[in-house]
This record gives sequence, structure tokens and C-alpha cells, in this order.
Amino acid sequence: MDHQSLVFASVFPVPALSHTTPTPISTPELGFTAPGQSFGGPFGGASAGGQHREVKRNLAWSTATRFLSLPKLPYDEGHLGAGVVHIHKGKDVVDALEYLLVGEGQGEEGKEESLVDWYTNEVRIHFVSYVHPALRSIWDNEIACQNAWGALEETQQILQQVQQLYLQPFNSHILPILEHESANTTSSTIRLDTTAEDQHMFASWKFQRDLHGLFAHALPPQRFSKTLSYVLYNAGCRLFRVYVDNGLGFVGGDVLDDVPKLRESILQLLRGLQSVGLGEEQAQKAFAHAMDKLMGSFIVSHYMKVDWFSRKPIINHLRQWVKDGFSPLVRQVMEVLADEPHSVQASDVQQWQDMAIGRLGRARVENLFDFIINWDKSLGAILDIKEYLKMPGAKVNLSNSFSHQVSRRLLHAGATTTFILNVYIYVIRAFNELEPNGVLLERAARPIRRYLKGREDTARIVISSLLTDVEDENAAKFGPTSEISHEIAAEMQKPIASFAQEQDDDLNWSDMNWQPHPMDASPDYRKSKVEDVIWFLLTLYDREDFINELKQILGDYLLRGHDPEYEKETRLLELIKLRLGDDKLQACEVMLRDVLESNRINASINGEKKPDEPAKPVPITPSPHTPSTNQAQPRTPAAPQARYPAPITPIAALTKKPPADHTLNAQILSSFFWPPLREDNFHVPAPIATLQREYEARFERVKGMRKLRWLPSLGRTKIELHLTDRTVEAEVQTWQASVIYAFQQPLPSSPPPANRRGHTLNSKDQGESRTVPQLVEMLEMDDALVRNALVFWVGMGVLQEVQPDVYAVLETLPKPSAADITATDTAGNPTTSTAVVAAAAAAAAAELQPSGVVSTTEQLAQNKPLYRQFVVGMLTNQGNMPPARVLMMLKMVVPGGFPYGVEEVRALLEELVEEGKVGGVGDVFGVRK
Amino acid sequence: MDSLSNPPSMSNADMATTEAKISPPSRSASSNANVTKRLQTELMNLMMSSTPGISAFPNDENLLKWTATIDGPADTPYAGLSFKLSFDFPTTYPLTPPTVLFKTPIYHPNIDFSGRICLDILKDKWSAIYNVQSVLLSLQSLLGEPNNSSPLNGQAAELWDSDPAEYQRLVLARHRDDEETEL
Repeated sequence: MDHQSLVFASVFPVPALSHTTPTPISTPELGFTAPGQSFGGPFGGASAGGQHREVKRNLAWSTATRFLSLPKLPYDEGHLGAGVVHIHKGKDVVDALEYLLVGEGQGEEGKEESLVDWYTNEVRIHFVSYVHPALRSIWDNEIACQNAWGALEETQQILQQVQQLYLQPFNSHILPILEHESANTTSSTIRLDTTAEDQHMFASWKFQRDLHGLFAHALPPQRFSKTLSYVLYNAGCRLFRVYVDNGLGFVGGDVLDDVPKLRESILQLLRGLQSVGLGEEQAQKAFAHAMDKLMGSFIVSHYMKVDWFSRKPIINHLRQWVKDGFSPLVRQVMEVLADEPHSVQASDVQQWQDMAIGRLGRARVENLFDFIINWDKSLGAILDIKEYLKMPGAKVNLSNSFSHQVSRRLLHAGATTTFILNVYIYVIRAFNELEPNGVLLERAARPIRRYLKGREDTARIVISSLLTDVEDENAAKFGPTSEISHEIAAEMQKPIASFAQEQDDDLNWSDMNWQPHPMDASPDYRKSKVEDVIWFLLTLYDREDFINELKQILGDYLLRGHDPEYEKETRLLELIKLRLGDDKLQACEVMLRDVLESNRINASINGEKKPDEPAKPVPITPSPHTPSTNQAQPRTPAAPQARYPAPITPIAALTKKPPADHTLNAQILSSFFWPPLREDNFHVPAPIATLQREYEARFERVKGMRKLRWLPSLGRTKIELHLTDRTVEAEVQTWQASVIYAFQQPLPSSPPPANRRGHTLNSKDQGESRTVPQLVEMLEMDDALVRNALVFWVGMGVLQEVQPDVYAVLETLPKPSAADITATDTAGNPTTSTAVVAAAAAAAAAELQPSGVVSTTEQLAQNKPLYRQFVVGMLTNQGNMPPARVLMMLKMVVPGGFPYGVEEVRALLEELVEEGKVGGVGDVFGVRK
Repeated sequence: MDSLSNPPSMSNADMATTEAKISPPSRSASSNANVTKRLQTELMNLMMSSTPGISAFPNDENLLKWTATIDGPADTPYAGLSFKLSFDFPTTYPLTPPTVLFKTPIYHPNIDFSGRICLDILKDKWSAIYNVQSVLLSLQSLLGEPNNSSPLNGQAAELWDSDPAEYQRLVLARHRDDEETEL
């Protein structure tokens, strides 16, 4: 309204410019005359009073609304709130207001608009037309994080101002009248006291509520709460110095350090928002959201670090923070937002702590695998998880997450078995810390155990590690790629709690300490009373399988053993006995006794031979024997000497060149108890054979006509080779010695001329030469073994291959200078390359050294006839089947199991097909009739 | 052959009764394990000895059901034929005999049309020293030397002596080869 019209209006009450008054003031509606009444009479009936009121009300309405209407100015901070005060509040206005609000002009319920309603509407229209655009300019677009605070502040200021603007007329003009009226009513009628009082309070409250609803509606609710919650979160981060790596930095980052001020300003903002009605539920929701996120960020920022050095859990600190940092903030904010004193309950704090721990725990569990690998530096983290496990659902989460991690990071072909075993041991230790009753361990370790069982070398590594002495082995052996697990070896050193075996505790009725299994235990759960890593490893397999493997490896160790007392093996066997039980390890004990006994027998036999010579057991050639006949049941209680089942066959040692004073020591083994041993037969050098016979004779005398069966290939001997320019000393295997000895022996028959030609090529440096077939014939040795030995000697620089399959003794070493300088030796003698080849061959030979105990592949060859019988029997009776089924059946029915896979089965079947015994169509094989 | 189909009954019978007394009535689990062990040994022996003309193999892992194959002995009406049998071992084996049935239809005085066998060592003369192999050998010899004094199949018993040609015809008519496809 411009000034002019204001003036005019003060003199001539005219309708508000913005409002049309529904009834013209000058022509009041007089109503109709009812039939039969005198027309136009001054007392025109009852309706006249009503008509009169109508007119009056219209007048008052017009005056009041004109007075109350809001300045029609677009929102602009500077001017806002200035316009209202100018309106003069005249008598007519007061009367009109009174009339409309508390007098007769009060709107009748449901029929007429009340002034308050009108005002509310007026405010609404004003807000929408003038203030809303300003707000929209702030809120219409995404609010950037940096501006969030500013946007909120600005909004809050605008709203505060307009609120003031709207409330001011309401409070100063409308409310007092209502209040006055209610005061009057109070004095006159006590009865109505509460109602009236309520009424004006209600009006005020309703107006405010409408106003706040209006404000809240003006803002996009989601965007607003997102912004608010970001601001709160951000403030929280700053309060608690959370480092958030979102690259956005902080709003007003420079106030970073002033915590009390920051806290005050955030509360200020919230108070402001609350006062314009943006607090309450929506803000509380946003706040809850922010706090939730804050807690997560706080944990990530402050607690993800694991204390690798002090190994302490951080859970307590976290609890402290929730109690002393987090919950006071919540309390303060809630006090502002809820407009009422808000006290944080102890149970709330507890709940928040649980939430915090849950989050920390989940975060920790995600990295559990790393903690396990770094056990036991990661003890702190593990203890945190332990605390977390008290939360509902934590165990499930842990076992799921862990097995996922394990399968992704551990159980794949890229991890060596040693590594997996080591990790498994860490898992055992760590989980034992996590949950001493072992249910979780069982669950977590199941995939690892299953996987380990599938690996071929698991048992071998476990047992060789058990047999390894941590202390005297050099540390280099225990690399991640080695075959020996340091952890297992170390574990073996620990004192053992007695390993009560197989006792079914549940049937022990007199056990007063009996406790039921934990309720989440699986059916095959077994309580392990001791943290015994070895126990877990030994239970990976059936005990029987393990002992078989142990026999293999122990046998190999014993045969190779350099220590005449076998101290280490004895001790380790004792340790294993304690864990696996005495009864099952009889075979191993026998093996150990065999070798010890052999020492004694050797001493006595050799001593008898040469009493004056000091018993110096230098060149030992151990060799086992196997019973040559299967006549006797090896172990019958009747035979007291069961340890030496009838035919015993030791092998002889050989010593080479100076045939005068060599000693033969034999290992006398009870074949029944030993794993299958290498039985290659060949001619040992004549002097050794003589010694063997002598030994045999003496042995028979000592041992009452027991026979020995020699296993020549398992021996070891010390030899000295006298060559033209040098002497080579070496401790070698008997077959290697026999091969080199064969170069000294004269060829049995006139050599075929073809071989002779080899000699023509030789330079004068070369000595005797032999061809591979010659050697095979002379020694009756397996071709492969001969070649193996030849490669060994080439590697030693004693032989050289002058032609394919023709080897000659290298009497003088080629001069190194000649070898190095190219083209010096034009004779075409490829000395240089020979040397290189020889070195490589030596390395290869070292790897090829067959162990004394027969490996599984060799066993396949040995047992093939048996397997073929099984396969034929199976196909004859059960009809045609595919290899997979054959394999399954073999695994079930072959005694001792069938350790091979479907490939071997297929090969076996193909072989039978070639022989015509079996026919195959596609993948199905059957007997050919 | 005689000794197989009609073993000297004295010592065997004694042994069977003694062992029957010893065996505890309950503890079926352990006795089951014993049966399995025994059957495993028998299987191994059977495989190692590989007697021509007879063969047997378990059907599945529990080892209590086997299938066996017998080739008809030469110079008998059954020459050139092969017969499938089923072995069903009770958990009390070897104290009680296995149930043995001919699965391949066979025409024989001591075997009925459902394949049931009348053989003393599978009934009252059973002894724990018999095993799959000896039973199979006995059955093989039974093919050549039926016991015509107590026939299950009277016609066959009659024809065996009176009309070998007709007998042979009936044997071949009744015999069915395995349905299994030849590979």
C-alpha cells in the first residue's frame, strides 16, 4: 500500500485494496418480506438482526484484514519487516479486531472464515509469492558439500525473519485480544477457565504449527535432511577430529581446532532451525543419520589401526569414546532439537557402544585373514574381534567372511602347502584365542582342512616337518617354498599335554566336570582340551593313513641316517607316540630298533672278523631286505623273534679301491614292518659280494640260521677313485659305485666292434669306455638306474659321454685354459660344452637320487597287476562302466586305498583295451568276452 | 571237485558251532566291521589267485552284496555259457552262509526257476572256512555234477540221465545272455 491510499483509508474507511468486501457497505441487504407481513416495516422480523450483523461483520472484516495484510514486497533482506510498523492501528481497527475475534463477529464454526484462518492464509500466500522464490534459489539445485553449512544458515535466517514478520502482527494484534478475552472469561466464569485459556494458547500454537508446516514444505525435504545430516556429520567429524578421505575438505576448515566454538556454532544453527520449525522429527532423523555415519567414520579413522606392538585391544577405548564423546554430543543436540531436556539413558549408551563394537568388529573381521597371517603381532585386533563375537550374529558373520577370505586368498594352487599349513597353525592359535571352546575354529578351519586333505604333499610335509629339528637345522630351510614348515617343527618342541586319545567323554558317567557341548557346536564337534596344534594336524587324516605316511618318511630317514645313534629319530618317535598312541606305532618302533640292532650286529660280526681293528663304523651301507618267501605269518605270538620275520635281507656296503681293509655294515630290517623298499637287483662288485657272503655266513651263525636277503640298491659306500691326475673320494650309493666299478672290470666278452669305434675318437686322456647296454648286461642293472648313475658320474667329472650312450673315464681333466679359450681344441672334442652339460647333469642327478622307499608312482607300477585284477573283476561282474566309476570302486575296495586319480585309471583301462581284455566305447569300458 | 561240493563235514561243522558260541550276540557295529574286513580279505585273495572261470566283485562300498560270474565248465552242457550270481552276505557272515542266487536263468536239476540253489554247503553244511571262492568253485562243479537225488527241477534231473540232447537244448533255450552291449 502506498502512502496515499493509507491516508485515504484512514479518513474513509474503504475496503482493503487487496480485498473485495463481499457485501457493499452502502446497500445492506434487508431481506425479503415474508408473505402476509407489511412490506418494509421497521421491524421486519427476526432476520433483521442477522442481516445487521452480516453488514457489521463485513465492515469489520474489511478493516481488520486491511490492517493485517502483509506488505506486498518481494523478499529482500534489507526491507523485510520494515513495512508493518507503519500502519496506524486506529480505533476502528481495534474495534474490528475485537469484534471479529472475540465479539459477535467471531466466525461461526464451519460457516464463516475466522480472522485467524484468514491471517494464516494471508501469510501462506505471502510466503509463497515473496519468500519462497528466495528459498528456491538456495534449494533448487544440489547443495554442494562446501556450501551446505551456508545454505542452512541462510535459510534459517530468512525463515527467522519472515517468521518474525508473520508473527509480529499476530502476536501484537490478535493474541492480546484473545488473551484479554480469556482473562475476562476467567474472572467471570471459573468453570470455563481452562477452556478459554486453552483457546488462545491453541490459536497461537496452531498458527505457529501452520507456519512451520509452511516453512518445512517450502524446502525439498530430502535435500534438506541430506544437507542437514551432512552438516551435522561434518561437524561431528571436526569435533572428533575424524579424518575423512573424501577429497572435499571441511567447511570452514580453519576453525578446525576450536572445538568448543565449533560445538557452540553447531548448536546455534540447530537452535535456529528448531525455532523456525525445521527441527523436530525431520531434523532428528537427519541427526540420527549423521551420527550413524559419524560413528562409522570415527571407527574407520581412529580405530582401524591395529596396535602391532603393545598387542592391546582398543575396544575399551572405543567404549570410553562412546560414553564420553559421542553420547554428550547426542545429548546436547537432542536437547536443542527436542525442545525438552533430554537425558541419555545408560541403556542407550550401552546400545551405542554395542553398535560401535559391532562396526569395529565387522571392519576387523574383513581383515581377519591379514591378522591371522600376522599372528601373533595382531593379538590386539584378535581381542577386539573376540569382544565383537559377543554381539548377536557375529559368529555367523565371522565364519562366512573368513571362509570367503580363505578361499580367495589361501586355498588356491598358488599357495604352497607349507604356507597353507603355516596359516592353518596360525588359524588354530588365533581362533583359540578368539573362542576357547573351539566351535568357531572347527567351522572356520573346515575348508582349510578339506583342502589340505586334497593336497598330495600335505602328509609328507607335516611328517617331515615333525621329523625336522628346529634347532640344528639352518634357518634357510624354512622358506615359504620349502617342504618343511617351521611352525610345525617348532610346535613339536613344545611340551605335550597328555593326549588322551579317543576317550568318549560323553560316556564317562563319573566325570563331575562334564559340560554339554556349546549349543552352536556341530555334530562332529569334539572338545579339545588342549591347544595342541599337532593334534589338529594329526587329525587331518585318518590315523592309519598318517602312520603309513610316517612309516614311509621315517624309513627314508632311517636309511639315510648318518647318526649311528639315531637320537633325533628316537626322540621324535617318542613324541609322536605320545600323541598318536603307542599301539599304532609299533611298526615305526620296529624300524627304529632294526637300525639300532643292526649297528650292534655289525659291531659284533665285524669285530669277530678283525678283533684288533677299532670298531670304526665309517662306511655304512645300509640296506634292507624283504622277506623273500611269504611263508610265515610275520607276527604270531608263538614266535618270540617276530621282529625278524624269517628271511632277513640286509645289503652290503661296499668300499672300493683298496680292497684290503674295507668293512661291510648291514642294516637288517624286518621287512614286514617296513614300507615297500626299492628292490632293484644288480651285481655288486666282486669284492663286495665276497664280503656279503662272509657277512651272511657270520650272521647265520649268530642268528641261528636266519637268512639274509640283500637289497643292493639301498646301500651307501665310500669310495676312492685313483685316476691318472687325481684321486676322487666320494660317499655314494651302491648302484653308483657298482657302475663306476664296472669301468675297472674287464669286459666280459670280446666287445662288439661297434663299441670299439668309440675308442678311436678318444684322445689319449681317456680311459676305459663302456656303452650303456654293456653296463646293463654286466651289472644286470635296470637301464634307467645305469643311466642315472652315469649321469651322476659325469656330473662328478669322472666320466664323460664321448658318444651317445658311450661313456669313458676321464683320466685327466681337460685343462681349464684350453676349455675356456675357443677354437684352441680343434679336435672337436666338445670339452667346454661337456663341462657345462655335466654341471647341469649333476644337478639333475642330485634331484633324481631315488629314495630308498618306494614312491607312490613307483607303487602304481608295482601294484599294477593287482589293480588290473580288480578292474577286470569289477567289469566282469558289475558290467560296463566309465573310468570315474571304476576309480570310485577301486578306492572303496582296494585294501589300503587307491591313491590315484581318474587319469591313472584311464591309462590302466587303455592298457587292458590294447591287450584285448577290455573293450571301450566312448567313455565306457567293459569286458570283452 | 568232490571235496568242494561235498566237503568232509565233521571238522567244519565243529568249527562253525564253536565260533557261533563265541560270537557275542549284540554289537552289530563291530561285527559289521568284522564282516567287512573278512570280505575285503576274501576279495583280495580272489583277485590275487584269479582262478579262471570264476570271478566276483562287490556291488558298492558296503561290500555286503556282490555279483559273481561263473563260466560253464567245459565238457558239460553249460560249456561256453556264463552265469551271473548274486551274493548277499548277512552281518553274521562267515558264521552263517551268504544267500546265493543265480541271476542268469539256468536249467539245472538243483536250481529252480527263480535261481535258488539247493546245495548243502549253502545250507546246513555251511562252515566259516568256506569263502566266496570255494562257494563259486562248488557251484561251478555242481553244474557238471548235479545231485540228481534231491532235485529242485525234477524234469531236469530225469533228462540229465535219459536224454542228454534234449537236456542240452533246454539249457540253451533257457539261457539268456546279459543284456549289456558287447564292447
